[in-house]
Amino acid sequence: MLRDITFGQYYQAKSPIHSADPRIKMILMIIFIVFIFLSSNMFALLFSFVSVALVIAVSKVPIKLYLKNMKAILPILIFTAIINLFYGDGSTVLVEFWKLSITTEGVFKAIFMATRIMLLIFISSVLTYTTTPNDLTDAIESLLSPLRFLGLKNAVHTLAMMMTIALRFIPTLIEEAEKIMNAQKARGADLESGGIIERVKALIPILIPLLISSVRRAYELAEAMECRCYNGGEGKTRMKQMKLKMLDLYLSVITVLMLLGVILINIIL
Amino acid sequence: MSILEVRGLTHSYSGNTPFVNDAVSNVSFSIEKGEIIGIIGHTGSGKSTLVQHLNGLLKPTEGTVLLENEDIWKSPKEIRKIRSKVGLVFQYPEYQLFEETVYADIAFGPKNMGLEGEELENRIEEICKIVGVKPEYLEKSPFDLSGGEKRRVAIAGVLAMRPEVIVFDEPTAGLDPRGREDVMQIIKDYRKAYDATVIIISHSMEDMAQTVDKILVMNKGKIEMFGSVNEVFSKGEKLLEIGLNVPVVTKVFSKLKSMGIPVNPDVFTVEAAIKELERLREGDKNA
Amino acid sequence: MDNIIELKNVTYEYTEEDKVYAAVKNISLDIKRGSFTVILGHNGSGKSTLAKLLNGLNKPTFGDVMVDGINTKSEEDELKVKSLVGMVFQNPDNQLIASIVEEDVAFGPENLGLEPSLIRQRVDEALKAVDMYDFKRSTPHRLSGGQKQRIAIAGIIAMEPACLVLDEPTAMLDPKGRAEIIETLIRLKEQKGITIVLITHYMEEAENADRVIVMNDGEIIADDKPKEIFKCVKKLKEVGLDVPQTTELLYELKEKGFKVNTNVISVELTAKEIAKALNLEEK
Repeated sequence: MLRDITFGQYYQAKSPIHSADPRIKMILMIIFIVFIFLSSNMFALLFSFVSVALVIAVSKVPIKLYLKNMKAILPILIFTAIINLFYGDGSTVLVEFWKLSITTEGVFKAIFMATRIMLLIFISSVLTYTTTPNDLTDAIESLLSPLRFLGLKNAVHTLAMMMTIALRFIPTLIEEAEKIMNAQKARGADLESGGIIERVKALIPILIPLLISSVRRAYELAEAMECRCYNGGEGKTRMKQMKLKMLDLYLSVITVLMLLGVILINIIL
Repeated sequence: MSILEVRGLTHSYSGNTPFVNDAVSNVSFSIEKGEIIGIIGHTGSGKSTLVQHLNGLLKPTEGTVLLENEDIWKSPKEIRKIRSKVGLVFQYPEYQLFEETVYADIAFGPKNMGLEGEELENRIEEICKIVGVKPEYLEKSPFDLSGGEKRRVAIAGVLAMRPEVIVFDEPTAGLDPRGREDVMQIIKDYRKAYDATVIIISHSMEDMAQTVDKILVMNKGKIEMFGSVNEVFSKGEKLLEIGLNVPVVTKVFSKLKSMGIPVNPDVFTVEAAIKELERLREGDKNA
Repeated sequence: MDNIIELKNVTYEYTEEDKVYAAVKNISLDIKRGSFTVILGHNGSGKSTLAKLLNGLNKPTFGDVMVDGINTKSEEDELKVKSLVGMVFQNPDNQLIASIVEEDVAFGPENLGLEPSLIRQRVDEALKAVDMYDFKRSTPHRLSGGQKQRIAIAGIIAMEPACLVLDEPTAMLDPKGRAEIIETLIRLKEQKGITIVLITHYMEEAENADRVIVMNDGEIIADDKPKEIFKCVKKLKEVGLDVPQTTELLYELKEKGFKVNTNVISVELTAKEIAKALNLEEK
C-alpha cells in the first residue's frame, strides 16, 4: 500500500552520526560509494561490508528499517544478480542449458554485484535515516554554494526551496491520493483489473482530482509563504548555523582510513 | 431483519507506519433496515476504519461483515457489487470530482455498475431532483460551481448508484449553516424516497440528536455504547470522560437540575427543551 | 498610536468573466491595539477578502488600509506590513513549509534576516506560547489538525507581529482542535498583548471577544460588544449565521413569553437566565 513507503524518512535517535554535520555526512557518503565501487576483490568487498555494518550499528537506527528499504529494491537486486550469473565468462561450468551456462565465476560475480548494490542502498539509507530532510536540503544548498560565483545564486536557493517543499508535501499527497482512490472505489471504480490501457484510463479519476488539489495547495502555500515574509531568499538567515565540530573531524578521518584500507586490500590481495 | 451485521470485526494496520493508527478490535453490532444510525468518536477512535469495512474498501483482519445475511467477502471478485449496495460518501467529497460536466461526474458511479442509455439518464434525472441539482447545471463543469453546489453534485454521484445502505462521513464539514441544512435535508429525502438505511459520522451532537434513531459510540477501536439517542446522551458523564460531548441544551438542563430545579435532564433538542420548560411553567401555575 | 489597523473607505473589486464584483464595499474600520475582534459572516460574505486586505495580501481598489501608520499600498514597506500583521489560514496543511516543526516555525524569522541565536530564542518562545514545545522535533504530518494549526500560529508569532489575523482557523478541525485554538488565542492576547482578529462563522467563538463585527454581502451590518450582538438572533439567522444552541433556546423561550435575556452564550449563564425566568413566574 501507498502508506508503506518510508524511503527517505528521518528516524529520530541520538547517535554520533545523527549529530554530525549534514554536509560532512554527504561528502563521506560519496567517499563510501567510491570505495564500495573500488572494492574489486572479495576481501576488499568484505572490508567494505564490515565498514558499512559498523556505520549501521553506530547509527542506532533499527536494522529492520534498513531491510525494509532493501525489500523495495529486491527485484532490481535479483535481476542484476541473475544477469551477472550468466555473464561470468569463466571456465568452471556448473550448470548448462540451451545457450546459457552458469560458471563458478558467474556465481561469484552475481554475489559480488548484489552485495555492492546492497551496500550502496544501506549507506544511502544511513544518510536519509539520520539526517532530517531539511538538513539534507541545507547541506545541498551549502555544498552547491560555490556555484553562486557563477551567477547561479538564485538557482541554488530555488532548488533547495523546491526540495524542502517536495519533502514536506510527499506524505500529504500520498495520503490525499489514497483518500481519492478510496472515494472513487466507493463509486465502483475498478482499479485492479483489465489490460494496460484500461488501467491507465482508470487512473484518470484519481489523477485529475489530485492535480487540482495540488494546484490549490500550491496557491495557498504561496500565499502563506508571502505572509511569512518570504522574498525569494533575499537577505535570509538560518536558525541552524552549520559549524564543523571535532566529531566531524573524527568521522572524516575514520572514513578516509577505511578508504585507504580498501585501496590497500585491492593492491595487496 | 437486520440489513447489515458486523461480527467480531478486527482490523490492525500492518507494521509501524508513521500514520495515525486507527485500528478496530473485536467490534460487533447490527443495523435494521431503514434505521438512521449516528457514529460518534474522536479522531483516531477507529470510526473511519470501521465504515470503510462496510463497503469492502478494507478487508477485515478478523471477523465478518454481513449484508442481508451474506458475507460481503464471500466472493472477493464481486466486491465491487457490494459498493453499489453500500454507498460511502467521504469527507469533503467535492475533492473527488473529475469529469468535464456535472452530468458525466454523476454518471461515473452508475456507469461503473453497468447502467447505460435511457436507464442511466432516468437514474440521473431522478437523483438530481432529490439532491437539488438543477437541469441547467448538468452541462456545466463541476469546477465552476460554488462550494455548496460541488458538495451536492459529489453526493449525487454516490446516491446515483442507489445504495440500500448509505454512509456519510461528516457530510456537513466546512459548510455554512445553510449548506449544512441543505445536506441534512438531502439525506432525509433520499432515505424517504428509497427506504434506505443511513449511517452518519458527525462531530455535532446537536445534529445527531435531531436526526438519528440510534447512536454508536466508538472509543479506542471498540464500541463504547450503542443505543437510542436517549440511552446514549443520558450517559453524559461517560461521554465526557472519553472526550466526547452531549448536546448543549442537555448541558443546560443538567445545570438546571444541579441548581435544584425539578427538570427532566434527558432533553436533547431545543424543541424538547421548550416543551419541558413549558410543562414546568404550566405546572407551576397549576400549583 | 491607539489603532494598529485603520481602514478608510475601502472597496475591493475583482473581475470574473468580464463582470466586476465588489467583495468588500466601502468599509471603514479601526482595530484597537491589543484588542480581540471577531468578524462573523457566512461563506461569501466578503470576510476572507477583508482579512487579506489587513496585511496587504489584497490591495484595496479604492480607499486605504493603514497598518501602524503605513499604507499597505506602499511597495517598499511590503515586508514590514506583513511582519506587523501575521496571517493564519483555514487549512493548516497548506501553511507549513518544513518537515520538522521547529524548522517550520523558524521560516518567518529567517526570512526577516534575524540573527541565528535570536531566531532560536523566538522559535522556542513561540512554541511554548502555543503549548507545542514538546513537539519541536516532530514532523507536522504526524500531528492532529489542532496541533498543526497551533504550529502555524507559532510560525507567525515567531515574527513577533503586533496583530494576528486568522481566517477561519477552526473550520477544518474537530471540536477538540477548535477548543485548543480558541484557548491559545485568548492566552496570546492576555499574555503577549497581541491584537487578535478572528474570522469565523461559529458564533460561539465570539464569546470571548471584545468586539464582534458581522459582515454580509461585503458590508458591515453590525459592530458591537458580543452581548449586544447576540441579542439580535433573528438578524444573525437571516444572514445565514450559525447560532449556538443556547442562544437558540433562549430566543425560542422569549418568543414563547419567558422573561429571559438572549445576550448570553455560556451554558452556565443560560441556565441562570432560565432559572431566573422560572422563579419570577413562580412569584
